[in-house]
Amino acid sequence: MMRLAATALAVGLALLPAPSMAQAKYPVSTVTLATHSSPGGGSDVFLRELVKHLQPILGINLAVANITGGSGAKAMAEVAKAPANGSIFYATTPTYIQTTLLSKPEAGYDKLDPMMIVFLDPTIIYTRAESPHKTFADVVADARKNVGKAKWGAANPASLERIAFEKLNRMIGAGAAIVSHEGGGDLMINVLNGTLDIGVGEIQELRGQLEAKKVRLLAVLGEKRLAEFPDLPTAKEQGVDLIVSKFRGLAGPRGVPDDVAKIWEDAIKQALASPAYKAVYAKEALEPVAMGREDARRFTARFAEDVAISLKELGVIR
Amino acid sequence: MDTILSVVGALPGGWTLLAALAGVIWGILGGAMPGLSPSVAMALLLPLTYGMDPTAALTMLASVYVGAEYGGSIPAILIKTPGTNAAAATTIDGYELARQGRAGEALGISLMAGFVGGMFGLAMLVLATEPMAAVALAFTPPAYCALGILGLSVIASLSGRSLLKGLIAGILGLMIATVGTDPVSGVSRFTFGSPDLLSGIRPILVMVGLFAVTEMLSQISAPAWDKANRRDTRLKLPSLSMWRRLWKSQVIGCVIGTFEGLTPGGGGSIAAFISYNEARRWSSKPEEFGKGSVEGVAAPECANNVVTATALIPMLSLGIPGSNSAAVLLGGFLIHGLIPGPMLFQKAPEVVYGLYGGLFAANVLMVLVGLVILTPCIWLVNRPKPYLIAFILAIVVSGVYATDTSLTDLWVVLGMGVVGYGMRWVGMPVLPLVLGAVLGFMVESNYRRSLVLARGDHSIFLQDPVSLGLLVAAVALTAYSVWREYLKPRSKDA
Repeated sequence: MMRLAATALAVGLALLPAPSMAQAKYPVSTVTLATHSSPGGGSDVFLRELVKHLQPILGINLAVANITGGSGAKAMAEVAKAPANGSIFYATTPTYIQTTLLSKPEAGYDKLDPMMIVFLDPTIIYTRAESPHKTFADVVADARKNVGKAKWGAANPASLERIAFEKLNRMIGAGAAIVSHEGGGDLMINVLNGTLDIGVGEIQELRGQLEAKKVRLLAVLGEKRLAEFPDLPTAKEQGVDLIVSKFRGLAGPRGVPDDVAKIWEDAIKQALASPAYKAVYAKEALEPVAMGREDARRFTARFAEDVAISLKELGVIR
Repeated sequence: MDTILSVVGALPGGWTLLAALAGVIWGILGGAMPGLSPSVAMALLLPLTYGMDPTAALTMLASVYVGAEYGGSIPAILIKTPGTNAAAATTIDGYELARQGRAGEALGISLMAGFVGGMFGLAMLVLATEPMAAVALAFTPPAYCALGILGLSVIASLSGRSLLKGLIAGILGLMIATVGTDPVSGVSRFTFGSPDLLSGIRPILVMVGLFAVTEMLSQISAPAWDKANRRDTRLKLPSLSMWRRLWKSQVIGCVIGTFEGLTPGGGGSIAAFISYNEARRWSSKPEEFGKGSVEGVAAPECANNVVTATALIPMLSLGIPGSNSAAVLLGGFLIHGLIPGPMLFQKAPEVVYGLYGGLFAANVLMVLVGLVILTPCIWLVNRPKPYLIAFILAIVVSGVYATDTSLTDLWVVLGMGVVGYGMRWVGMPVLPLVLGAVLGFMVESNYRRSLVLARGDHSIFLQDPVSLGLLVAAVALTAYSVWREYLKPRSKDA
């Protein structure tokens, strides 16, 4: 298939020099890792960093291809119809499930086979430094006391973060106004200028403001605390069982042989254990989970089911 | 003073200068290519910067932005097709001048106005980052909504003969802006299940269709217009007396551009349209606007280049990207392990000052590159019409397709071309439609966000001081424009 110059450029640049002694057992010499994000975007950065550490272990060419467009639909379609010989994989994020649920893409998430879940992206609740709320428990107590007064913000209207806040609203009966935005930056302005009481998002987006001590983290929406912020309690510890599991993984076309998936699983586990990679992903507060094929399939199916139910409850889909 | 000295000390040499030059050339090409937006031009270069020194890498990306915002005016003037969103206002008088055989002059003015704007914006960036960042933070959802309405109020003076037709066109534009994911509930609207439409119809596609395709359709169906621009086939920089005439419109462009750059969302396009409108109001020759006014080129081109620098203020000092282009630049920072935000200026001052120096170089280089390439560009559009039209359509189609390899985008562009042709036929102005398509989403999403915040109480728009001020301005502007355009007794120019 003909690719546009942009993709060709990105692919060309991502091709790292191949070690001459390629491992005999991997069926192909070049693997394309496709992402729907444009150069510099979330999944693009994830893949390029992963490739750096995986390349020496696998000993084959790893090329990153940016197949943008249609919120992931194009990349999914391309990967779904590629040969299932381990020559192409797609970098998965919750986006591919949401796109499938929100529209009718040529090939949805169910046409791809999850191979691994590599990381979970922690989601956190934050407020501005001047806020009277010192902990998430404060926020909850305040919202319960003043029903119908609280103002909470999430990045995008059909995002996991908005779903989480809608759940929270129901759980504690706060009747809060939940305002969705055009991405994390937009949301942050409104938390910083006091329009909103709290916002929900990713650590990376807040990094600059955290350094300047302009925002205060209130809770992690995960099972356990983050290694980087050991003093930040989870929402669960503060009495609200609210969990968001954003993931980063790899999926292939259906029918990729099990031994290929095994090679990847071993290689990625090895890469995750290397101190050099550890330093990088720890800095981004990513939680390495390295779920293998079976776990990844189960996790993805369960995740899709949950999101579908939530989106229906919100009236976003029928 | 220290800041200025640091910038002077950081004036680029060697690789960084080369990076600025490469960035500017690439940016001008990308900006001049209808359909390729500045942010896409930047994103295409991003992978190249992975291995570069941070200062050179960021200078290159910022230079692409500078070059692209200028480059957008070249096709706007020569072939009535804005290469970027922000160059849409330039087509009005720029193309009129080109038809009168003054293409070289118009290009010279847009080049120098862009330079003045870029330098002014840079000065604001260097000297006033902190107070300016506070302005960006003062914009709440009601204020953004009001800002969008202020932008829409320009429709009153862009409607030509019939205000009614202008309003109809504006509403068509607003309707186009409703396609995609609902900004508050997340429901998909008018996407017909197509994932290509989930994120809406990009305004640049509407513009490329309405301007480029429509113009090509009209040109092939009209008898050959006399080759007016034969007379003027060389670039002509503004003379001293011309500068004297342009200063007022440039001041307007600088001031408006500064503030629009700070407020994410509308960015360059609102700045350009409002500047155009204000330049006309304050001009000593307002009757020339729309019929080939030099000030009508200078004001918007100055404004959109101011934005290339001031849009960096919220990005650098707050870590908040105000536009797609700023988001790509933010990506560039992150790749080099730098986190934009309040601490950037303390943690990596050398990179920030290096970037300032790089922007300075980029603006100077932009003029030099412009001097070299503009005359050949004029030559190019003076080729026989059949070749020219085929060539332009090929460029437009490939530019649009290359961005996302989406056939849907292509159909949108061709469809808008037909719509534009129809509108021209019934004498309906296209600019209100463009404004509607550009601003519709910003107005709607922030209007609804405000109402969610206020639980349905409209008084939130009057309680927010910024919003109130902007709304009053919008009402005043509309009333004045309607009076001037339609009610004022026509003494001279009727």
